[in-house]
Amino acid sequence: MSRVTLLGRLDPNFGWAGGALRQSAACDGGPPADLRGAFACVTTEPPRACIARDPLGLNKLFWAPDGGGLLLSARPWRLIEAGVPFEAIQAVPGGSAVDPFTGAARAIEAPVRRPREGDEVLAVEAVARELKATLDAYCTALHRAHPGATAYVCLSGGLDSTGVLMLALEHFRDVVPVSFDLAREAGPPSADRLTAERLAEHVGLPLLRVTPDADELLAGLDDVLREGVDWRDFNVHAALVNHALGRAIAGARGRDPCLVLTGDLPNEYLVDYHAEQLGGRTYYALPRLPAHALQLALVRGLDTSHREVGPLGAWDLPAVQVYAPAVDHYLALPDGFLGESSRKDRLSRLMFGERIPEYVYTRPKTRAQVGDADVGRGVLGLCLARGIDQPALRRRFAELHKVGDPASLDRFIRAGRYRSALPRLTEAA
Amino acid sequence: MTVAQIGDRLEEFVRTQFRVSPSDARFSRSQRLFDMGYIDSVGVVELLAFLTEEFKVTLPDEALMSDEFSTIDGIAAIVGRLRAAV
Repeated sequence: MSRVTLLGRLDPNFGWAGGALRQSAACDGGPPADLRGAFACVTTEPPRACIARDPLGLNKLFWAPDGGGLLLSARPWRLIEAGVPFEAIQAVPGGSAVDPFTGAARAIEAPVRRPREGDEVLAVEAVARELKATLDAYCTALHRAHPGATAYVCLSGGLDSTGVLMLALEHFRDVVPVSFDLAREAGPPSADRLTAERLAEHVGLPLLRVTPDADELLAGLDDVLREGVDWRDFNVHAALVNHALGRAIAGARGRDPCLVLTGDLPNEYLVDYHAEQLGGRTYYALPRLPAHALQLALVRGLDTSHREVGPLGAWDLPAVQVYAPAVDHYLALPDGFLGESSRKDRLSRLMFGERIPEYVYTRPKTRAQVGDADVGRGVLGLCLARGIDQPALRRRFAELHKVGDPASLDRFIRAGRYRSALPRLTEAA
Repeated sequence: MTVAQIGDRLEEFVRTQFRVSPSDARFSRSQRLFDMGYIDSVGVVELLAFLTEEFKVTLPDEALMSDEFSTIDGIAAIVGRLRAAV
């Protein structure tokens, strides 16, 4: 009997290496050194045993010692249910592959910032071409691997999700755009909803409208805290949106095969975030760093972001972060580019041109957690109105994971990383 | 650069970046920066970027989560060891 036990299922793999999709969770010999995309594997039988996680840490994998053996799971709560104290849980470090029986470990090459030199205009154009080629190749491979799958596209109507919609239309036969908005008693729909409606009409597809009321949305909170493996408001709020989208998509797909395509990640790659102001307070504050350092910090922080795959996975939906394999291209953008206010607009125009309608390029940026120029109308405002603020989220996460002192959670996530160590069987085993 | 000098530079950064009052009697190099609220979860990212930029070291995750990485003295000791190992 193996001394390495996996509890529950792994997150679905959508790794990318050598121009091929890597989906198998049986990673005999370990994943390739140039692996990108979301990936984790647990192969338990020696001599080919291997435990690995992708270099951005997109797929989650946690472990704890179990007598002389190891328990692993994609979610800490499963380890807690098996009797493991929270303090004993560690993540498998992103970008590592280890044989737990011998302790032999190797690193998967991490994406690093390698800005291009030379003429900036040409460099950005070159990056955009390569980026689009990678996205096209990835989507082609996705469709080949899932030929009968309907592609549900989480469509906020921002540039990233609209780009995903365009990719889906190029590469998939059946595409369903899905739009989130909070139900409200009065007033027009959110700017995100209005843009999504316009886009769906533009491409001639019916829009799946997901419009939960406050109670329906917040009913998913415990799921989101467990599956998202995070208590920080900016991630929890986005995960609530995705959980609601997941419920609707799961209902719409029935038993049919599907992929859920999301436009996550370019905000980190391009440092396209800002803090939000509500009621005289600042939310979603960002570290005060130069753009290039902030980019690296945000990319590094993806290790602890599971706000898409986690809550969608709660509905048994395979979520694909389409931009995941393209991280190296984004990190190759010239130094000055990150300082441009129109950087995402410029890059999207180079990749998608007029296929994305002008009104998407020119609309003000809104975050999924907000969805509208009126910040108070979104999930952030709703949670605060219900008293679900940052300390409340922390307390609830702690309760769900049987953590006595919520303050100790700071030793589980710090600077965007989970507490981590390479899993290895002890000598006593 | 000695560990004490690293501590000097680190203390200067923490006092400036996180607006520690010069009259704050609780603050010291052995004070716990996170538990006592001097540095929050966003600030720790700024601290990490400072360590990388200023001392040219990359902190492994286990050091980041260690007890030692909670005071200026402890962080200076970690940085000192990482620099010595280069």
